Amino acid sequence: MSDATSFEQQQRASARVLLVPLCLFMAALLGFPTLINLWYSFSDVSFQNLVGSFVGLDNYVAALSNPKMWQALGFSLKFAVLCTVIEVAAALVLVFILHPLLVKRPWMTAILMLPMMVSPALMGVMYRLILNEFTGPIPVYLEMMGYGVNFLGRGNIYKTIVAIEVLQWTPFAFLILLTARQTISYELEEAAAVDGATGFRSSFHILLPLMIPALVIVLFVRFIDSFRVFDHIYVLTGGGPGNLTTSISIYIYKLFFVQHTLGEAVAVSILLLLMSLALIASAMRLVVRRS
Amino acid sequence: MLRSNFKTATAALLATLLSGTAALADITILAWPGEPSESAFRKVLDLYNTTEGAKNNSKASVIYFSQQGFKEKMLADVAAGSKEFDVMLTATYDVGLYAPFMTPIDDIITEDVYKVVSKNSIETQKYEGKTYGIPTDLSLHFLYYRNDLIDQLNSDPAWKAKYEEISEKILGKKLSPKPADQWNWDDFIASALFFTKSINPDSPTRYGTVLQMKNLLYNIMLWQGTVASNGGDWRDKDGNITIDSPAYKRGLEIYKIITDNEATPGDSSTYEYGEANSVFGAGQVAFMLQWNAAVPEFNDATKYPAVAGKLGLSHEPAGSEGPKTHFHSLGLGINKNSDKQDEAKKFLSWLGSSDALTLYAKEGGSPPLAEGPLAVIAADRPEMALMGEHAAKYGFVMNGGTSAKALGIYTNQAENFTGYWTGEIEEDEAIANVTADMKKAFAP
Repeated sequence: MSDATSFEQQQRASARVLLVPLCLFMAALLGFPTLINLWYSFSDVSFQNLVGSFVGLDNYVAALSNPKMWQALGFSLKFAVLCTVIEVAAALVLVFILHPLLVKRPWMTAILMLPMMVSPALMGVMYRLILNEFTGPIPVYLEMMGYGVNFLGRGNIYKTIVAIEVLQWTPFAFLILLTARQTISYELEEAAAVDGATGFRSSFHILLPLMIPALVIVLFVRFIDSFRVFDHIYVLTGGGPGNLTTSISIYIYKLFFVQHTLGEAVAVSILLLLMSLALIASAMRLVVRRS
Repeated sequence: MLRSNFKTATAALLATLLSGTAALADITILAWPGEPSESAFRKVLDLYNTTEGAKNNSKASVIYFSQQGFKEKMLADVAAGSKEFDVMLTATYDVGLYAPFMTPIDDIITEDVYKVVSKNSIETQKYEGKTYGIPTDLSLHFLYYRNDLIDQLNSDPAWKAKYEEISEKILGKKLSPKPADQWNWDDFIASALFFTKSINPDSPTRYGTVLQMKNLLYNIMLWQGTVASNGGDWRDKDGNITIDSPAYKRGLEIYKIITDNEATPGDSSTYEYGEANSVFGAGQVAFMLQWNAAVPEFNDATKYPAVAGKLGLSHEPAGSEGPKTHFHSLGLGINKNSDKQDEAKKFLSWLGSSDALTLYAKEGGSPPLAEGPLAVIAADRPEMALMGEHAAKYGFVMNGGTSAKALGIYTNQAENFTGYWTGEIEEDEAIANVTADMKKAFAP
């Protein structure tokens, strides 16, 4: 056995030993709740009986055969796709426009980050006041200018909740993409300029391809985050009117805390976890391949 | 000598320790947040801590969750065996749900308590024959109206003529204005249309009324007087679900007509208690249905100058069965998991006293007082007599409204009925969904 092979084996053994604390930590923090939740999803657990008894696939059948689940899932998917596309597109445009300015005045980045520092539930309360037809400054000023808009009315409520999500989380996408933009070496840009690629061509053909790994990550993170939206919608509309704005998270919350069908609520959560894992796997494969 | 001194010292020490253990421990109360009852309850606790509590060497403190999700948090806590609070909230509409996590308190409901608290309100804290709470707040609904506007409507010939014209045009029948305490639901709708600027450009208010249509169970409680006043109920005496009935359809229609004619603000589908108060308080609507808790606010000229001094109160409009109002009581009971059962019981015994509840009423709370203490605070809180009268004359609790499933049923109704009012789903679908959900909930 060569020295190199022996060294490699030693390295691997050390790596395994070093991973043990992390694995134990993950097992305690994630493993136990996952196992408990798996049991809940196969049982008739209730608030009165937190152990429950085995009911097989009943909860999964009930979850999958409930049209409200599909409606909420559809809402979340549509909401997530729409918000992610708008946020990432806006962030990308802002990065290309503001990058030269932020290089000279980096403190301005902190100001742009302010919206995402606010708790989403508080954001909901804030907009409930700001957009109120009578007491909200925005509708009042718009009306003074002759544009009466009812932001929280049935016709506009969907657009309003999308706009709130976009306003709050575009800074996050902006921050990730700005960091990716700042890692691109200036020499590369100079070389592209010497070859005649400036402005849009430089951004589109040189800078953008180099930012794709960051772009994929930000698309993925924002999609997952928007998909599980809860706070500001719950505060603003309670998921209504009807089920118009019921996201899958609100749906699970209601199943659990209002209908008290704990097993079904956990079964829906497990199904969502599986879907998310599939998404993570494909996103990570894409990122690794690009890298 | 030394031995004798030692014995004396030991005995003294033991006596001190024993007297120390005889003192009661401090207790924590989880109460319903929101003004004016929150400030009033803090004053009640101050009184306890300086009188009865000090005597027992037990101090009571209060904690609050936010209103949004309050019940869910409390349920999760008690189901997990939490001892973070010893005294917890009870409510008529979910006493059945929380009963397994609470200690019955029938042994402290003495004749003295009945002299302070009205008997029917104690009944609303019972589940399967056992009492779980001392009622601290009575909740029911009033018709709040601007008496300056309704008086003018009944006296100004031009307004009367316009009212008749609008009612004939939109409702298909010529109605004449009436005083608010004689309204039926048609008068309610017609008045809402009359006081809406887009229908009547001369209206002094922008909208006639403000409906609370957020997808929230409490909004269904507020609405269901329309149903009960027309003879509707959740179930008949045999337990059959009776949602698919003319009474429910009429109740749904009342809100639907007002919504479709934009006689309520366009964003009413996101409104609850607070929003409705701000709209009425700003003088933007002429009347509304609202919980009794708002009365002290509207009499406060510093808070709502547009309304203070012009506030009229009446029962809800009448249906075929006369006027009705949903009513329930909030109260305080004992967390079964608490290690301080005796202390909690002592506190609740004191809470059911005249000293505690009359102070609470004077400070803005709405306790369901019996006749004696009610007379004492009548000058400070005139509307409380009205509350007692309305609860007795018009109060109803839906058949099944105290069951363990009641909260879920209200929530399901909120989902479906708000969906109907805003045009998301058809009436038949909404009724069918609610009926199916209730059949499932009440299935043996």
